[in-house]
Amino acid sequence: MEEISRSVVKKDHAAKVSGRSIYVADYPSDGVLTGRLLHAKTARAKMIGVELPELPDGYYYVDARDIPGDNNVNIVLDDMPVFCRDTVEYIGEAIGMLIGPDEKKVEELLGEIKVYLEEMEPVLDMRKAEKNFFEYNFGHGDVGQAFAEADRVFDEEFETGYQEQAYLEPQGMMAEIEPDGRVFVHGSIQCVYYVHNALKRVLGCGDEGVHVLQDVTGGGFGGKEAWPSILACQVAVAAKVTGKPVRCVFGRREDMEYTSKRHPSYCHYRAAVKDGKVTAIDADVIYNAGAYSTLSAVVLQRGLIAAPGIYNIPNIRIHGTAAKTNTTPSGAYRGFGGPQTFFAVETLMNHIARELGVDALAFKEMHIAKQGDLTSTAGRYHFPVPVKEMIEEVDAACDYRKKRAEYASPQTGRYRRGIGMSMYFHGAGFTGSGERDLIKAVAKLRKYSDDTVEILAANGDIGQGVRTTFSKIVAHELGLPLERVIFEHPDTGRVPDSGPTVASRSLMVVGELLRRAAIHLKEIWADGKEQEVEERFKEPDFVLPFSIETFEGDAYPTFAWAVNAIELEVDTYTGVAKVLGAWGDFDIGTPADYNVALGQMEGGFLQGIGYASIEKMDYNQYGRIRNNSFSDYLIPTTMDVPKLVCMFHVEKYPDGPYGAKGAGEVPLVGAPAAYVDAMEQALGGIPLNHAPFTAEDTLAAIRKEAI
Amino acid sequence: MDAIRFTLNGAEVSYAGSAADRLLDVLRNNYRCTSVKCGCREGECGACSVLMDGVLVNSCCVAMGAVEGAEIVTLEGYRETKRFAALADAYGQVSAVQCGFCIPGMVLASEALLAKNPHPTEEEIREGLSGNLCRCTGYNAIVNAVAIAAKEGDGLW
Amino acid sequence: MVNGRSAASLQEALKIRANEKVVPYAGGTDLMVENRKDVTYLFLGKVPELRQITADDEYVRIGAAVTFTEALESPLVPALMKEAVAKIAAPAIRNAGTFGGNLGNGSAKADSVLIEFVSDAKLRLVSVRGERVVDVDAFYLGRKKLDLMEDELIAEIWLPKEGLEHYYYEKVGGRNALAISRISFAGVYGEKDGKITKCACAFGAVADTVLRYRDLEAMLIGKTKEEAKAEKEAFLAAYADRMVLTQGRVSAEYRKDVCLNLLRAFLEKFGI
Repeated sequence: MEEISRSVVKKDHAAKVSGRSIYVADYPSDGVLTGRLLHAKTARAKMIGVELPELPDGYYYVDARDIPGDNNVNIVLDDMPVFCRDTVEYIGEAIGMLIGPDEKKVEELLGEIKVYLEEMEPVLDMRKAEKNFFEYNFGHGDVGQAFAEADRVFDEEFETGYQEQAYLEPQGMMAEIEPDGRVFVHGSIQCVYYVHNALKRVLGCGDEGVHVLQDVTGGGFGGKEAWPSILACQVAVAAKVTGKPVRCVFGRREDMEYTSKRHPSYCHYRAAVKDGKVTAIDADVIYNAGAYSTLSAVVLQRGLIAAPGIYNIPNIRIHGTAAKTNTTPSGAYRGFGGPQTFFAVETLMNHIARELGVDALAFKEMHIAKQGDLTSTAGRYHFPVPVKEMIEEVDAACDYRKKRAEYASPQTGRYRRGIGMSMYFHGAGFTGSGERDLIKAVAKLRKYSDDTVEILAANGDIGQGVRTTFSKIVAHELGLPLERVIFEHPDTGRVPDSGPTVASRSLMVVGELLRRAAIHLKEIWADGKEQEVEERFKEPDFVLPFSIETFEGDAYPTFAWAVNAIELEVDTYTGVAKVLGAWGDFDIGTPADYNVALGQMEGGFLQGIGYASIEKMDYNQYGRIRNNSFSDYLIPTTMDVPKLVCMFHVEKYPDGPYGAKGAGEVPLVGAPAAYVDAMEQALGGIPLNHAPFTAEDTLAAIRKEAI
Repeated sequence: MDAIRFTLNGAEVSYAGSAADRLLDVLRNNYRCTSVKCGCREGECGACSVLMDGVLVNSCCVAMGAVEGAEIVTLEGYRETKRFAALADAYGQVSAVQCGFCIPGMVLASEALLAKNPHPTEEEIREGLSGNLCRCTGYNAIVNAVAIAAKEGDGLW
Repeated sequence: MVNGRSAASLQEALKIRANEKVVPYAGGTDLMVENRKDVTYLFLGKVPELRQITADDEYVRIGAAVTFTEALESPLVPALMKEAVAKIAAPAIRNAGTFGGNLGNGSAKADSVLIEFVSDAKLRLVSVRGERVVDVDAFYLGRKKLDLMEDELIAEIWLPKEGLEHYYYEKVGGRNALAISRISFAGVYGEKDGKITKCACAFGAVADTVLRYRDLEAMLIGKTKEEAKAEKEAFLAAYADRMVLTQGRVSAEYRKDVCLNLLRAFLEKFGI
């Protein structure tokens, strides 16, 4: 194990384990007003107006008319409003906020507001969307010719559902006006500068008018990437109007029903096969973006780039759209578009192999890209692709090939077994040139006269451990004990913009800036003196610039790689599947801390298994999400996957700190494909085309196929 | 009307509010026990777990009237014990704490389990923590931490 | 206390129940989720008469305020009941949730109630006017409708001491813990001198109340195993014909498939 990988007690351990950490809901309520949002109950309507009950003294109502600046939340496109404009676009859209000192009274008054709307027919089905927010086309080779020359053509459709981040701490935010007039916002946040920039626009002020602090944050998984910007603007407007601190913390049902979750997908794939190999893939991908575009552009891009999987397919044509529907805006969730298309392409490859009568694993191995090959965007795999070795590691850990062969023989009893495998990557860092052109990350180290060193960076610890790993990097380079390196939750009033806490980029990109900054500081170190060093992002020289217009170039400098195997036992009487074991081998480069990295892998992998199996969420005919509580949207408990085994395969990345590369998202991405592969085997080799695949789905398949 | 008397972390207290109020809200709002987290208000996540007369309960599902005469322990009290120190150390060894929101409940569930069964098997640990959702860790580290605490804190339970 | 009444004895509880509009509160695990506004709870957790598990010659008597955890730790409670109760939610809920509450909530998903149905349990209901003992299936009038007068409390559940040894139980939830039943099944089997004496089958969480069809059970009573085997498909078909299930978190069709499969598994377990 590398020196840096040796685990330490995490920086935030003592405060969290003793319950002393203060999350946004934990600040004292004295003098703080409670804000509750008035949510639309109709999926699509023209807004006519609201009629308020008589508000007692000290109670306020704010809506779009109270916004000092622009009623636009800065995400990608200018469509998401702070408070709804003249139309309602989804059930749950914020019409306004009711604010007052007593929470119960606020709730009561909220219930008395009359909302007048002219209802319209909502668009719910992404395949019947009237509008696409984004559309991309790219590819290479000659797909037409490959299909013309094919021995066989495969044509399949795949669907995946919503996934709710289900962070244990619901969304929450607080705003107050400081004595100098500055608006101070703090709460449960992944990306302080996203919130900061959104506030500037909505409040119509400059950097000096606002600052944003991340409170201790109870999980994010992508769900606190964009939504906090919206909630921050809402509470900030409320604080402006009332002149008092305002806090809004979502209830669980409110959070589950109305905030963004993983995009449901529909994929239509065609594949050409010639001489036993896939020669072309033609994929048409639709992601349900929901009512507003939020982050759908980038989610879709990542999904499309992954559409041909990890395979070197000479001819590809990829087309994708992010469809507007009158449903909750979909957004960022760990994996960020990757899980959907990896499910489709992995399952497609399994189906092709089965139809050709060849072993799926051997068939996939025959197609795996290698170092130097073209990526889907005609960039390069610049570094070794370790997937074949990882397959052997997984096989050694779980006896994959032997079990696969054993379960392939006909099974007749009530309980039947299957084992499945998926292999995939997760592009490390932002897609395309975002890091170079948009983010331009800056990080600083500040040394105090007592020779402690503070990290000034905008990345928030949301549980993934950056407070610890960043500090370890700096302490390691400076030869300091860990406690002499400080890294507090970021406040935009104090830290430079080192970019958002997303895309598995924090450690790889900002961690490397800090390593370089520490080396620099060591060179100029003067005992007892205050010193500061700064580092800025530089794109590695080897990167082939990416163009979003042509979708060409290196979409990612490098990739995290993974191989998953999942073994199931299916009860054919009830459809209930028991996960006998789940094995994940992950190449995230050098783990910056073994325990921290292992925790990321285990947590992410279990989320993926939930996504594949029990985490079902859907809307009804009115566009209303019904699975809006922890009893209707089930996430795994301690009892669901007792045997969850994660391993590391280390392929160092020279431009990440000590060889580290993106880690946070990769463990989630491949579980649905491996799970459904195992399910297909347990059910005697029938093709299945959607995830999650629930107990009810299993019995429906048994009934349909008369198994 | 008489106030509701109970013991909170060893101190005698009385609550004059409604007997229908939730223990969760009263602990957080009236006694500043902010280690008790609100994750769902429906008994489905375990973040608000406390010990009531030594057994684990979800404080969101307890009305104050039921607390009359009871002994309530939250992490604010429990963290002063040797048992807590053993659990905290074990959780730290394996980095079982990520976002931390489920952790106060998880620690008290660990205590409730070990108090009943000082040498649990892995399966018994998983069963003992099964009402406490964690979305970060995948549970392995937490289960390992409890096993470590049981071993290293031998004699405490 | 404000907005609440607490009783230290059953007598006191019954007086309050008779004279005031109160909602009986035992464990709170269902009531607090309902989050009813403006209620006055009658707290029963400290009523000693409701907190005991005792046995007479015929019945194990479980007090209405006995928690599931307490039942799991009692040597008196039959294995079938323990198996069902052990699968309720998770420790914190089992520590608070009670038998009386499970009944009083009126849900067909209640895991202990399924066992009460299949075992022909009786309920002792008490009021200041006196007491009455009713069969559990007569107590359930419909969805959330119970044969419980405004002044009555559920005092005890009487489970037969004998005849529950041979059973088949299965709970289908959405996951392995913290799961509300989506379908539950309990079957109790008995035979004497080579003839089937008992074939009780109860289905939970699939309709407004727990389902049991005594006339269909009678198809196998008095038969030998061989005769029952010959009758098996007709028996299953009769259930398929009779069961009209509702849609809940899962479809009615799925529920029916599973019910019939579990009914078959029950027969298979006992060699039919």
